Amino acid sequence: MLADLAGVVFNGLFSAMVVFIFASGLTLLFGVLRILNFSQGGFFAVGAYLAFSLTRLLGPALPLWRFLAIAVVAGVVVGALGIVTERLVLRRLRQVDGAYSLIATYALLLLVEGIVKLIWGVDVRSMEPPAELSGVWQVGDVFMPTYALFILAAGLALFVALEWLLHHSRLGKLMQSVATDPWMASVLGVDVARMQTWIVVGGFFLAGIAGGLLVPNQALSPSLAGTFVIQAFGALIVGGMGSVRGTFMAAILLCVADSLASTYLPGVPGVFFYITMAALLLLRPQGLMRGAQL
Amino acid sequence: MQAAAALAALVMALLLPEIAGQGLVFLAGLLWINMVFGFSWNLMFRQTGLVSFGHAAFFAIGGYGYAVLARAWPGLPPLLVFVAAGALGAVAALVVGVVALRRSLGVYFAIFSLALSQIVAMVISDLPSLGRDDGFAGIRRPVLDLGVATIKLAEGDNYYRFLVLSCALLTLIVWWVTHSRTGRRFRAVQQDAERAAFLGIAVARQRLLCFVIAAAVAAVAGALYGPWLQLLTPELAQWTFSARPILFTLLGGAASFWGPAVGALGFTVLEYATRTLHGVGEITVGGILLIVVLIFPGGIIGGIIGGVRGALGRARPVAGA
Repeated sequence: MLADLAGVVFNGLFSAMVVFIFASGLTLLFGVLRILNFSQGGFFAVGAYLAFSLTRLLGPALPLWRFLAIAVVAGVVVGALGIVTERLVLRRLRQVDGAYSLIATYALLLLVEGIVKLIWGVDVRSMEPPAELSGVWQVGDVFMPTYALFILAAGLALFVALEWLLHHSRLGKLMQSVATDPWMASVLGVDVARMQTWIVVGGFFLAGIAGGLLVPNQALSPSLAGTFVIQAFGALIVGGMGSVRGTFMAAILLCVADSLASTYLPGVPGVFFYITMAALLLLRPQGLMRGAQL
Repeated sequence: MQAAAALAALVMALLLPEIAGQGLVFLAGLLWINMVFGFSWNLMFRQTGLVSFGHAAFFAIGGYGYAVLARAWPGLPPLLVFVAAGALGAVAALVVGVVALRRSLGVYFAIFSLALSQIVAMVISDLPSLGRDDGFAGIRRPVLDLGVATIKLAEGDNYYRFLVLSCALLTLIVWWVTHSRTGRRFRAVQQDAERAAFLGIAVARQRLLCFVIAAAVAAVAGALYGPWLQLLTPELAQWTFSARPILFTLLGGAASFWGPAVGALGFTVLEYATRTLHGVGEITVGGILLIVVLIFPGGIIGGIIGGVRGALGRARPVAGA
């Protein structure tokens, strides 16, 4: 029973890190630009497909370092797409009402999904994790796939890196200033437009790298674009809209609650994520980290 | 003029089976349902500024509600079952609205409604009695007993005509709500909630009322959809389906009552034209929607009106000279 519980919590933490890795870029974009980006899912899918194609191209062997390098390349390419998207779309959304900007990023999601279908087709594909990550660890009675442990570590590392960047580096403080008051920041000599472009590039880079890291976890199909968006939105909004710390905590709370409830309560698996989310939103409409910065 | 145009459209819709083939009639039936679905969403958006990303949940509740009731009690009068499906949607919206609307608005409400519709979709996918992911099949087209005559809706184009008349009635209801005193109160809330409250309008109650009416109309549209397709699937409750009325409204023009109708027509044509090309459909719809939001926020109708005004504006000084 206890070992069961540990296993269930482990599974919850694993999905929490998957959601957090996906939602990190979303949080950055929302925290600074106040744009809730539906299309993040589309660019995540682009990253995943790019990683899949690059892996195919480089041959059957997939050492760990190559898997990581490919994820970074996917991140860089998607980050570059971010520059284009920012110029053509996101920059114009700043004067637009929140609802319209949500709909515009949904349109962008459709567009990207269509392009993915055109390039990679509609067949479902899959990819194995690198050999180093395909084993299983056993601690007591709990079986932990090495790949899941890797994702846990990656999620944690990403969280620590973002926290450090945002709260302890000069760049992070500049980003905070742009997020809090763009006008004041510009008066004080911060190049706000340029900063915003770089934040979009950063957010898109995170989407691409998430795609590269999470391919072995998914069946690769064009519907991948919509898979995590809703859960990531949930973590983002429960966490307090644009706080990395809040999103991290909310992802853990929602996913572990869902994992526990799906195992021990009767009902539809997966639905508890949304029930917890709705309950938390009603209890704390401002999110876990009320008024928090980034 | 609008009434005359609407009446002409209704007559044309009713006469369509005389001149068109079955495939086109089927598409037209879907289009009328889509229009009503769009009107119901725009009632919330245009009148009270509420953005719901979970409107499909009410469509699905109506659709499945009708199918379950009709299967469980085949003896019930069909019209009553359609009304009951609408009531089911209204009650669901009331429960959701009472808790959610006071607490969250704007983007919060959009995401909240998205989560709720996801719950509905997941429950439908899981319940064996609702057919799970395979769908709820074998929904019969009922027999209407009007006292003086009975009409078998399963025969010929009877169900199509019933569908057209029902959609016209629903449109009329939305039109009436929009232009009634209630509709003007909604509008006041949308334009300036604080000032409306100051004038003695119960802001939260207006939003709730509008949400409930929109949900009821969407639910009846869903109920009509079941017998037309004779199959319901959990996708009807998913957020991609919730995005449809939003697409219709923005494509056509949110500022006009008829916007969703124009948008639904445009969307149906686009979808049909690109149906065999994987990816091209999404690229076209996504691209056009993006252009509409970024460059023509008034949608197709706004663009036409702007174009006409522009032409007149240019013509006038010339005429005066």
